[in-house]
Amino acid sequence: MSFPGMGVQRAWHLIDANNQTVGRLAVQISQLLKGKHKPTFKPNKDVGDYVVVINAEKVHFSGKKWKNKLYRWHTGYPGGLKQRTAQEQLNRKPDAILRSAVLGMLKRNRLRHQCMEKRLKLYVGPEHPHTSQLPSESTKVSPALPRSGPMERFGLESYTQLPHPHALNKKFSLKDLKGL
Amino acid sequence: GNVARKRRKKILAFASGYKGAHSVLFRVANQQVMKALRYSYIGRKQKKRIFRRLWISRINAAARLNGTSYSKLIHQFKIAKIDLNRKMLSQLVVLDAPTFKVLSARQK
Repeated sequence: MSFPGMGVQRAWHLIDANNQTVGRLAVQISQLLKGKHKPTFKPNKDVGDYVVVINAEKVHFSGKKWKNKLYRWHTGYPGGLKQRTAQEQLNRKPDAILRSAVLGMLKRNRLRHQCMEKRLKLYVGPEHPHTSQLPSESTKVSPALPRSGPMERFGLESYTQLPHPHALNKKFSLKDLKGL
Repeated sequence: GNVARKRRKKILAFASGYKGAHSVLFRVANQQVMKALRYSYIGRKQKKRIFRRLWISRINAAARLNGTSYSKLIHQFKIAKIDLNRKMLSQLVVLDAPTFKVLSARQK
């Protein structure tokens, strides 16, 4: 189904990766890059948005992943399997952690290699050169799930201020039927 | 006679546009035509699945823009006996967004 007369409208999103869990943030970013948040989504066309991520090196891994998670790659030569822990990756190439997480969630096809990868702009630190492209009032979009420590969930007073998106906004009751 | 010729001409007509000998020589074209017909049979059944998947993605995106999710929306529609199918809903979502907004707001 096509929607004639509707050209692709690409928005710019600014995301602050400070203290966000890597995988959970990567899911949000990959959905934006693919365009799945738009009602005019087309899987065969490039309908995604630009995503600018700042503080990409301040992401968080739960558990002992900084020590135990390995990034592996093969150089092509025999015996050329190389690996690096997440901590070492952070020291050498800080933005590679989030980048490989996001790109690993996108299908490996031409759309991703030629279009989506180029629209993902990751920056280490809070500065980015895209102030002219981002809308003037862009609030720093933080992903839906705020990161909470393991004990915070059990302490009611220090529970996250934002409502948990998986909680039902409203439980359905018979009263709701009356208005229909 | 031309019994065999007529049969082969039919197949070659189907194979028009194929690359190289596949549109010209009967023995090669026959194989490709058999493959093509097989794929089209499967494709007619897959088409129904693929499009339903696409409609659901679009309705989900629009629902999230309006504060719900696809699953909650469909659940409330079923309770309210709104029987619009997903094809129409996906068109409504793009071409008549105000109506969809009203529909989804009513269900909250």
